[in-house]
Amino acid sequence: MAVERVFDHLRAIATGAKYLFLKPRLTLMYPDEVEDLPRGYRGMITYNHETCISCSLCAMVCPADAIKMYLPKEVPEGEKRPKRYPGINYTRCIFCGFCVSICPTFSLQHSTIHDVSFYTFEEQIFRPEEFAKGPPKPQYDKEPVKVRVIPDEERGLRYERV
Amino acid sequence: MSEFVETISRSEDGRFLELLIGPQHPASGHMRLVAEVDGDVVVSLRPNLGYVHRSVEKIAEVKKFLQIIPLVERPSLADTTANNLAYVLALERLLGVEPPPRAQYLRTLLAEINRIHSHFYGIGIHGVMIGSSTAFMWAFGDREPLIHLAQELTGARITYSYIIPGGVRRDMPPDFPDKVEKVLRYIERRLEDYDKLYVRNPVVRARLEGVGVLKKEDAIRLGITGPNLRASGVPYDVRKADPYCAYPDIDFNVITREEGDAMARFLVRVGEIRESMKIIRQVLKKMPDGPIFAEKYYKMLPPNLKKYYEETKEVKFPGIFANLRAPAGESVARVEGGRGEVVIYIVSKGGMNPYRFRIVTPSFRNAVLFEHLVRNVRVADIPAIYGSLDYFPPEADR
Amino acid sequence: MMDLLDLILQPWIFIPLIFPGLTTAFLVLLGIIWAERKIAAKVQMRYGPLYVLKPLGGAIQMIADLLRYLFAEPIIPKDVDKLTFIFAPLILFGLSYLPTIVLPAGPGFTAISSEMSLLILLGLLTLSPVFTMILAWGSNNKFSLIGGLREGYLVTTYEIPLFLSALSMAVLYGTLDITAMVEAQKNVWGIFLNPLAAIVFLVLILISTSKFPFEIAEAESEIVMGPFTEYSGIFYGLVMGASYLKLYVLSLLYALIFLGGWYPLPSFLQNPPFLAGIMVFVKGLVIMFIAIFMRAIYPRYRIDQAIQIGWHKLVPLAILSIFLSLLVVYLGGV
Repeated sequence: MAVERVFDHLRAIATGAKYLFLKPRLTLMYPDEVEDLPRGYRGMITYNHETCISCSLCAMVCPADAIKMYLPKEVPEGEKRPKRYPGINYTRCIFCGFCVSICPTFSLQHSTIHDVSFYTFEEQIFRPEEFAKGPPKPQYDKEPVKVRVIPDEERGLRYERV
Repeated sequence: MSEFVETISRSEDGRFLELLIGPQHPASGHMRLVAEVDGDVVVSLRPNLGYVHRSVEKIAEVKKFLQIIPLVERPSLADTTANNLAYVLALERLLGVEPPPRAQYLRTLLAEINRIHSHFYGIGIHGVMIGSSTAFMWAFGDREPLIHLAQELTGARITYSYIIPGGVRRDMPPDFPDKVEKVLRYIERRLEDYDKLYVRNPVVRARLEGVGVLKKEDAIRLGITGPNLRASGVPYDVRKADPYCAYPDIDFNVITREEGDAMARFLVRVGEIRESMKIIRQVLKKMPDGPIFAEKYYKMLPPNLKKYYEETKEVKFPGIFANLRAPAGESVARVEGGRGEVVIYIVSKGGMNPYRFRIVTPSFRNAVLFEHLVRNVRVADIPAIYGSLDYFPPEADR
Repeated sequence: MMDLLDLILQPWIFIPLIFPGLTTAFLVLLGIIWAERKIAAKVQMRYGPLYVLKPLGGAIQMIADLLRYLFAEPIIPKDVDKLTFIFAPLILFGLSYLPTIVLPAGPGFTAISSEMSLLILLGLLTLSPVFTMILAWGSNNKFSLIGGLREGYLVTTYEIPLFLSALSMAVLYGTLDITAMVEAQKNVWGIFLNPLAAIVFLVLILISTSKFPFEIAEAESEIVMGPFTEYSGIFYGLVMGASYLKLYVLSLLYALIFLGGWYPLPSFLQNPPFLAGIMVFVKGLVIMFIAIFMRAIYPRYRIDQAIQIGWHKLVPLAILSIFLSLLVVYLGGV
């Protein structure tokens, strides 16, 4: 029993020592390397104002009340019932993608952008006009290397430069 | 110079020291444990819960049925699929929808991927609580390939919202089985190193063996659930007791251990990781072809969305999903999550919101163990037992 | 200029000031914490400190940390005993550094030549835990109190076998003078003559410097930071540095009494005498490496288990090692 325990100690130390010399590291050097996300990743949402039919299904289904229907800033002359269009509040959005799934005209789509920072709360509220311009670009110190994440038998995840 | 005033509170006879562990403590989580210690021996421990109560049940009563899917995922972030699945099963029973077989298998696939990374989460936290930073970093690192797989399947890392009434939101990518197989082989290989460095490490065994023993009859009497119950020798698993999704077709074992101590609870989790890998392999092998979305809702889609669904295998919601009405009645569903049995109960009066919504999470049922197990143990055993329960305060508080 | 250099190279200045004293100790302090984080990170499949001087793998991370400690506001809570709270860390740090003056840096190169230098060193080492307990009590915090008590229990556990195993080597070499002990190992290192004492002493280094698996007094997940819970800023830097300084002193002592000190001495290190200290230092680094590597392997023991290991295993083994030394002496000695 005691001898067995000594071997268990030695085995544990040997396993740890093995990792001193192996090279598997799981770290993705984030701001220097950025994952090239596949299509279908649920990132920030792009909005196509041209195809939007103002059906407001997205606002109805939104679980976090992030999407709301806004009146246009300048109502056209003579319009009695101006159409409302969706705007998004990223302080509330949980990226569930229900709005994208329910949009019957594919006007709402996911982008792969997810790491944007804002200075104020107000900046995160996108009225339809700004929403249509697309999500803001993430700002890095220097242009990051895009890497593709590939499951690997040896290392778990491998990062391959695109 | 000011006078030195001792402000440490003691019990009236000055014998016991009241130790407030948390909520600002490196290992307490979002809760407070009030421990009365006599020297190094914990005389009693009272958990003080509710710090992260978010009123999920009441919020659910004002949310529409589909909007509750992300809501129920929030309480237990490491194990979102179980809550998602339990809710959708209950909702489907209410709506009378039966998802197609391929959707059932995809649900099982995600549930098992989620179970593995939920167990890794528990193992990592347990490791760092008894002082092994390596177990923590390894477990959280090895969680990453599985989260990556889930992300490929669902598009999100943790909060999948993948399971919807009538099916799942998208089919798996064509090269997905290969990727899964690679990750599973990696995890298999890594588990051997866990075994050498951590599981059989004499210090780990000294810390965990015989600590916090939960007897079989006590486990049943207290209504404990999940791996904590099975570690006390009760072979109860909802996947076997009340099979759902693809589990009736899958061959797997219920992992049990007889000891009921912290080590047994830990080893049950390790065993379940291996068992889940077995399930995933079977699911991928037996995966039937066919639709992933129930016929009832598919028919409601306009033609262009139908075409899109046929081409990309991505489900577009029919407009009815925005204001889904469930017929009056009540339904209940239970699911074996990573931490134990999740029960969801819905009462509907025929409107767009549930009239009453109840969610019973495994951590809530296991919370009683703090008071039961942490008695006449050492101060150092508090984190060892706490970690072994895989207790997640937000899940218990809901 | 030459006079000044000559003065610095005098043993009684060189040893406290350069090696193994202040300068080296400070550099080791900066290096060893970085190495600990780096080694743990490597085993845990990550990078560790990296961005402070990236080409060297974040080697000057600890300088950045030191600056942070220096400029952070040291918070002195209202209810602490201010006198002990402020002075105990200073004395603790000073006492941890003090034993270096007894250590020889080369053959005949000592600041304090004494026939009792081993005893002086061990005696100085026992002083610092007292101040850990004092500052724990002065902190007026429950976690500090428990941490201080744990430290107290551990002191009773490790001091006796530490003395016994060190003295078993004194029995072996027939002297209490560290320099003479090194000279006695010119042909065979002490670790080969008395491996039992060497193993016991190595474990005791881990206990007395509170390294894993005996990082019990500061157990973070149990009692926050043990005796040092209330400390912040430079005071925290001092109390944390103290245990690493102790590790440094004990590692050098281990190199001197078990690993042959400066022997085998290559010819280019023979003159001037203090160059032999490089050999001692390298061997000491190996011991420090082993001690910090354990962080990546082990969780921590419970206090009762550690005390049990001390009294049930290490004390008998240390006594046994004295008899082993006597046996070696009887069989022909060194």
